[in-house]
Amino acid sequence: MVSNISHYLNRFKACLKIDQTIRDGVAEELYTHLEDKRQELEEKGLSREEASKIAVQSLGSPELIAQQIYETHAQGSWKEALFSALPHFLVALLFTSYYWQNIVYVSIIVALTVSIAIYGWHRGKPVWLFPWLGYYLIPVVVTGILLLSLPRGWGWIAALIYIPLALFVFIYIVRQTARRDWLYASLMLAPMLVIFSWFSSLGIGNRLLSSDWIAGLQTNALWIVISFIALAGATIAFIRLKPRRYKILSLLIPPLVISLAVITTSRGSIHPWGWLILLFSLFAFATPVWMQARAQG
Amino acid sequence: MNYGRELLKGNTDSLLLYLISREPTYGYKIVKELEKRSNGYFQFKEGTLYPALHRLERDNLITGKWQILPNGQQRRYYYITTKGQQALAARLATWQDFSTAVKAVMQAETI
Repeated sequence: MVSNISHYLNRFKACLKIDQTIRDGVAEELYTHLEDKRQELEEKGLSREEASKIAVQSLGSPELIAQQIYETHAQGSWKEALFSALPHFLVALLFTSYYWQNIVYVSIIVALTVSIAIYGWHRGKPVWLFPWLGYYLIPVVVTGILLLSLPRGWGWIAALIYIPLALFVFIYIVRQTARRDWLYASLMLAPMLVIFSWFSSLGIGNRLLSSDWIAGLQTNALWIVISFIALAGATIAFIRLKPRRYKILSLLIPPLVISLAVITTSRGSIHPWGWLILLFSLFAFATPVWMQARAQG
Repeated sequence: MNYGRELLKGNTDSLLLYLISREPTYGYKIVKELEKRSNGYFQFKEGTLYPALHRLERDNLITGKWQILPNGQQRRYYYITTKGQQALAARLATWQDFSTAVKAVMQAETI
């Protein structure tokens, strides 16, 4: 049988979506408090069960404490906010002055992103890691898409081997991230939605990418820069805001608006594969938020 | 909203800082000390204490350290920091001024 105290602490931990180490520390602190109270009441002559029940009641709602503790720990510093937004600024920088066509700049940024993502992953997954991790995942997905354009036959064989592996890596990272907090999984996947919206909009006729897609990127460079700066702004807001509902809004609205704007302006030139990629990224982006809503409901 | 509760809410941080400044202490002891020193006047949902302690710690006014007791139980003791001492001194001074001013106004009214 689960005791009142264990049940209380389980409810508390289930509501508190913060770093696991901090969460366990606070739960331990509450446990010590409840045990102190229980012992005191038992010394006054109450039974163990009655004492536990009163101890739990005097501490108050575990959901309310979890919410208040969340608001204390959920607000990242300005330094964390800027570092979280940095990969979006770097992508925006790539598209100013046509740096994205320079293999040296692109290689430096890819190497930097991979190094930072691996470093953060092995350093307790701090909040600034997740946008970097999102960019780290993009080549994994893009490689699978490119494999489909190999000569007929070979493309499908490569895709059949590669896609399950890529999906395994993708799902593993999303699940690991979601264990910390579902919202961080969406924070991680937001750049993917924006990138694939642009990627899909560059298709034409019966091709995933039009032959002059480079020219298409150049034509849209200013809007691409603006969309990534908007994403950076949304990331800063997400890190700095305290109430969870505002965090959700700051996380959801900008990438969806950007994606919708890109799709609308593409004037129906999106290839069926483009739609599939878009639906995949939209699904991946929205799933964590849906899971969160389901858990709360 | 109860006026007394609002006043307590506005001054919880100062009360906590003051108690922690006297000696390193932990959550449950703080609740007991507040009740004892206020002759039972300050009674609040004990759980609200922990968000307040964590907020003070986030602002570097106090620092928490785990200590293992002889019976093997762990307790988190809170210590005031230099920044916390400065903040407490400033708050006490403000409180003294405020209290004096309120008393002066109220006494003038009742005379």
